[in-house]
Amino acid sequence: MLTERHLQIFVALAEEQHFGDAARVVGITQPPLSQGLRRLEALVGAKLFERGSTGVELTAAGAALLPFARRALTSIEELHQAAVARDPEGPEIRLGLAPEVPPAAGAAVAAACGAAVPGSRVTVVSAPTSSLTSQVSSGRLTLAVVLHPTVLDGLDAGPVQLLPTWALAPSGSAADAVVELKKLGGLPVAVRPRAEAPAARDLFLDTLAMLRPAGGTVVVTDERAALAMAAAGQAIVMTADPSLAAPGVERYQLAGDPLPTRLRLVWARTPFELDVIAQLTDALVTG
Amino acid sequence: MNARIRATFADAGVRGWLHAVALDAPESTVDIDADTVVPMASVYKLPLLVGFCRLVDEGELDPRERLTLDPSTRTPGPTGVSLMADPVTMSLRDLAVSMMAVSDNAAADALLDVVGLDRLAELLQSFGLQQTWVRRGTAANLVDLQRRTGMDDPDAALAVLADNNRTTPTGVYEAANASATTPSDMTLLLRRLWTGELLSAAQTDFAKATMRRQIFQHRLASGFPHDSIRVAGKTGTFGALRHEVGVVTLPAGDAYAVAVFTLTARSDWRQPRADATIGLAAQLAVNLLR
Repeated sequence: MLTERHLQIFVALAEEQHFGDAARVVGITQPPLSQGLRRLEALVGAKLFERGSTGVELTAAGAALLPFARRALTSIEELHQAAVARDPEGPEIRLGLAPEVPPAAGAAVAAACGAAVPGSRVTVVSAPTSSLTSQVSSGRLTLAVVLHPTVLDGLDAGPVQLLPTWALAPSGSAADAVVELKKLGGLPVAVRPRAEAPAARDLFLDTLAMLRPAGGTVVVTDERAALAMAAAGQAIVMTADPSLAAPGVERYQLAGDPLPTRLRLVWARTPFELDVIAQLTDALVTG
Repeated sequence: MNARIRATFADAGVRGWLHAVALDAPESTVDIDADTVVPMASVYKLPLLVGFCRLVDEGELDPRERLTLDPSTRTPGPTGVSLMADPVTMSLRDLAVSMMAVSDNAAADALLDVVGLDRLAELLQSFGLQQTWVRRGTAANLVDLQRRTGMDDPDAALAVLADNNRTTPTGVYEAANASATTPSDMTLLLRRLWTGELLSAAQTDFAKATMRRQIFQHRLASGFPHDSIRVAGKTGTFGALRHEVGVVTLPAGDAYAVAVFTLTARSDWRQPRADATIGLAAQLAVNLLR
């Protein structure tokens, strides 16, 4: 079956003339890109690209079919926009949440979206900040709660909200419930991959390195893995989630809250009145 | 291949706009949204320099004319005459050198007063710059920032922009509210300056030499870490805006005009990764043109 992804691969390869660059544009790695191209070539029954000495070049068949692929992609985008514009069942609000948004805060924002627009249907996805901002830009998401700072590139954004952020460390890591970050030494701090939000992650790492010269970091896929590593006595978790807990793991308040989780709402076309944005922002911090 | 430059910007947490062109082959370019109008910060000192030199060529201004800058009235800033405690008397051409070598705000605003906004606008039109507007100097820029941040002194206003925990007031980085240009307009200016189309031979040499004297090496020049590569440039910095435009000349003599404009996601005053990304992006662009 021919999919939107096949068309994206076709157009990206034609424009970038390089497998790695095209994969980056589509937002996938190179193996699925090559695989997608092979499927597409099988589906249309023609070879679309030749591997030349300097890169990838369109074949005659590829050049002939490229305009159709472009047109089809434009039509799919128009379909998305038309669906948003006139939905018979009331407007759909597609909300994106960064993984750093505490579950209760994310739930409060989603609930506030539903309450703000009567008759609306709210759908929610979780994705890293860099993915959310591009989905909001392309119109796939109505709005998202993302980590700050991040490159916004023309998106509108609400005020920066600071969520207090605790350290979860193996029990007995410190004597007091309120602790200087520097005193929480020894174990590495669990951090999610940098590419998910380069600017916010660098700010976190730079602040951490300034306040805590030793101990280092360890990269984890998500908070679940981070908590498990803390339980195993292998890592410290920084979280804005007030309810995250596990046996053998203690919650410490960091003196001066030096590593707050900075969040903000972003949207491309004003979906709500400004007072609704204010309500959603309130939900984020009070939820 | 532009995807690699875009990925470089994304990895550094900056939005980037770039234009690069070989001086002797203007038809091939590297273009990352190069026709987008962006606020230019202190890059405005480059068109001001070229405008000043043109007025010298036309006999309208005497480059040896002396001006006295008084601490009570001159523009504040981190370098040059802006730092001095006592009145400083300098010639117009020395003000131009200080403006370009260390991005001296006091010298630049004094020179802008002499040249005049209207006269400069006419000159920029005559240079073929259709998307470049020098709307005001640094002093007026700081007044605007104070108004938008609600702060009554420039340092406090700049501190708002430098705080990752605060929301940047709307409009601060809007091109329409500031002196603005496009990357492709700046490479056009540099190319026409370098090929001697805009100024007399003497003033062309003065302008080029002045740009080569710039002390800042952390942006454009950081992408070309070899002394036999010459970099002549002008930076621009205001809050999260970090720019540099310049001409890179390789040992074989081939030269490239490069304009890199960025807006960083982070607010910190010091951002070495973003600065180095300007050099890296310029290096990638020049390599594509070689």
